[in-house]
Amino acid sequence: MFREQLQSVYQIHKNHSRDVHNLPFIWLGAVFLVLGLIGVLLVLFKGHEAVYGVSREVPWGLLIATYAYLVITSTGLAFIGGLGHAFGFEKFAKMNKRIVVLAFITLLAGFTQIGMELGHPFRLMYLFLLSPHFQAPIVWMGIFYSMELVILGVELYLIFRPGKTNRQLTAVFGFLALLVGVIATSNLGFVFGSINARPFYHGIYFPVFLVVSGIAAGAALLLVINNIVSGFKVREELQDSMQALGKLMGLGIGVMIFLYAWKLISSVYSEPEGMSQAALALISGPMALHFWIGEVGLALVLPLLLIVLCRGRNSAILGLSGLIYMLGLFFTRYDFVVAGQLPPMRPGFEGSGVDTVKGLVHYTPSPVEWMIFALGLGVFFFFYFLAERYLDLQT
Amino acid sequence: MSQQRYAIVLDTRKCLNCKACTVACKFENDVPVEDEAYRIWVTEMPLTGRFPYLHQEFQPSQCQHCENAPCEKVCPTRATFTTEAGAVLVDYDKCILCKACMVACPYDARFVSLEHKAVEKCTLCIHRLQEGREPACVETCPTKVRVFGDLNDPKSEVSRLLGSSNSYRLKPEKNTRPRLYYVT
Ligand code: SF4
Ligand code: SF4
Ligand code: SF4
Repeated sequence: MFREQLQSVYQIHKNHSRDVHNLPFIWLGAVFLVLGLIGVLLVLFKGHEAVYGVSREVPWGLLIATYAYLVITSTGLAFIGGLGHAFGFEKFAKMNKRIVVLAFITLLAGFTQIGMELGHPFRLMYLFLLSPHFQAPIVWMGIFYSMELVILGVELYLIFRPGKTNRQLTAVFGFLALLVGVIATSNLGFVFGSINARPFYHGIYFPVFLVVSGIAAGAALLLVINNIVSGFKVREELQDSMQALGKLMGLGIGVMIFLYAWKLISSVYSEPEGMSQAALALISGPMALHFWIGEVGLALVLPLLLIVLCRGRNSAILGLSGLIYMLGLFFTRYDFVVAGQLPPMRPGFEGSGVDTVKGLVHYTPSPVEWMIFALGLGVFFFFYFLAERYLDLQT
Repeated sequence: MSQQRYAIVLDTRKCLNCKACTVACKFENDVPVEDEAYRIWVTEMPLTGRFPYLHQEFQPSQCQHCENAPCEKVCPTRATFTTEAGAVLVDYDKCILCKACMVACPYDARFVSLEHKAVEKCTLCIHRLQEGREPACVETCPTKVRVFGDLNDPKSEVSRLLGSSNSYRLKPEKNTRPRLYYVT
C-alpha cells in the first residue's frame, strides 16, 4: 500500500529527455549548498558579528535583501496559483503543480536567510509563543509567513495525494495562499514602512511595491522555469499560459515603473531630510551602478522591451525576459534594503562614532554573507530541480 | 509618593570634550573596547563663526530613553521594555538579534554586544539607581554637564533647570519624546 502510494507520488520519468535539463541545476544547487554549509559552519564557529559585513549603522544587509527577494517571489507565485485555483484562470491552473512546488521551495530558501541573519533563531521560536509583541510588524511577519508555509504544505499534499483531487478544497487553499501571501508581503513592506527613523522606508510605498514586484517575480520565475525544464521548447498546450504570464509580468513592470517614478520624484523634490540622501545614493551616489544597470536596466527596461518586441508571444524570449527580470530584481531588493540605511542617524562628525563618506555610511557584504546567500540559492536550485526530476510536475 | 519620572538634563555649554563620561560608562558597564561598542558619545559639532569670533559646541549624548520609543514598538519579543520610571532597557535573554530596534532608533544608540549576544544600549545605569547612586556618566563629569533626576519631583534639580531655562530635545520631528533635555 505504502509502496503504491510512493510510486504514485514519485513518478520517475524514465523516458523524458527533459530530465537532462534538470541535472546541471541540481549540480549547481549542490555546489551552492556546499558553499552555503561552509558559510553556516563559519557563522557557528566564529559568530555572526565576526563574519558578517553588517554594522551598527547598517544592521540589515545582504541576507535581509535575499530573504525579501525569495519570500516575496514565493508569495507572488502563490498569488498566480490562487488566480488559477480559486478564480478560474485556467491558463495558470494548468501549471498548478509547478507553481505550488516552486512557491514552497522558494519560501523555504528564503527562510534559510532569515534563520542565518537572526542571532538567536531558536530563541525566536519559543519567544514568539511565550512573549510575542503584537505591535511589532516582525511578529506578524513570522505569523503570516509561517501560515503561508503551512498552507502551501497542505496544497502540496492535496496535489500529490493519490486518488481523486478535491477541487473545492484545492480552491479554498489556493485562495488562502493568495490572500495570506499578499498580506504577508505587504506586511513585510510594513516592517520597513513602519520605521519612522528611516524616511526612505517610511510610508506605504514598500507595502505596495513589494506586492506588485513580487507578482511580476512569480510570473517571471515561471517563465524561466518552464523554459528550462523544456529546453526552451515549451509544450504547445502551455503556450497560452506563457503568454498570460508574460502579460502579467509586463503589467507588473509597468506598475513598478509608475511607482518608481513617483517615489523617486517625491524623494528628491525639495530635498526631504533622510529621504533625498537615500534616493540620491541610488540615482547618482555609491549605488548608482546597481540602480541604473540592475534596477532600471535589468528589472524594468530590458524585460519590458523584450516582451513588447516579441509581442508577448515567443515563449523563449519571454523566458529570457523573465530571467533578466529576476536578475535585476535582486538589485532592486538589495538596493532598497541598503539605500534606506545609508543616511546616518547623526552626522559623522569627529567623536560621533559614525564614519561617513560624503555624508553617507557604507556597507559591503562580506564573503560569508555571500556564502549564506549561496545557501538560499542552493536550497532553491537543488530541491526544486530534484522535484522536477523525480516528481511529475506537469499538470 | 508619586511615581518617579527619570530625566537627564544636559548643558552642552559646559562640555569640555574630555570624554570622561564615555570612559566612565565603559568601566562601569564593562562595555568592550571596540569601534562599534559604545553606549555614549561626544560629538564635536562643526566650528561656527569667523575668526576671531569662533564657537564650537560639543554634544554629548546616549540613548534618549524615549517616552514613545520606536525601538520598543518594533521589538518582536518584548526584549526591549520601559520601566515605570522611564528607563528603556533590553532583556538580553529575550533578544533574538533581529536588529529591528537598531534600524528603528533615530539616534543610533544601540549596538550588538558580543558579550551579551544581544543588543545593548545605555541602561541609565539602572543598577546604580537601585542603590541610590547617580548614573556613572553623570557622576563623573567634571563640569556637571549632565544632571539626573526625577521630573515628578518639583524640587529636583532637573525640574528646576527645565523650569528656569529654554530646552530642546533631539530630533523632535520624530515624536519620540526623549527623556534627555538640552538646556540653552
Ligand atoms: S534613543 Fe533609541 S534606543 Fe533609546 S529609547 Fe529612543 S529609540 Fe530606543
Ligand atoms: S534585536 Fe533584540 S532588542 Fe532589538 S528588536 Fe530584535 S529582539 Fe528586540
Ligand atoms: S547612564 Fe550609565 S549606561 Fe547610560 S551612558 Fe551613562 S554611564 Fe553609560
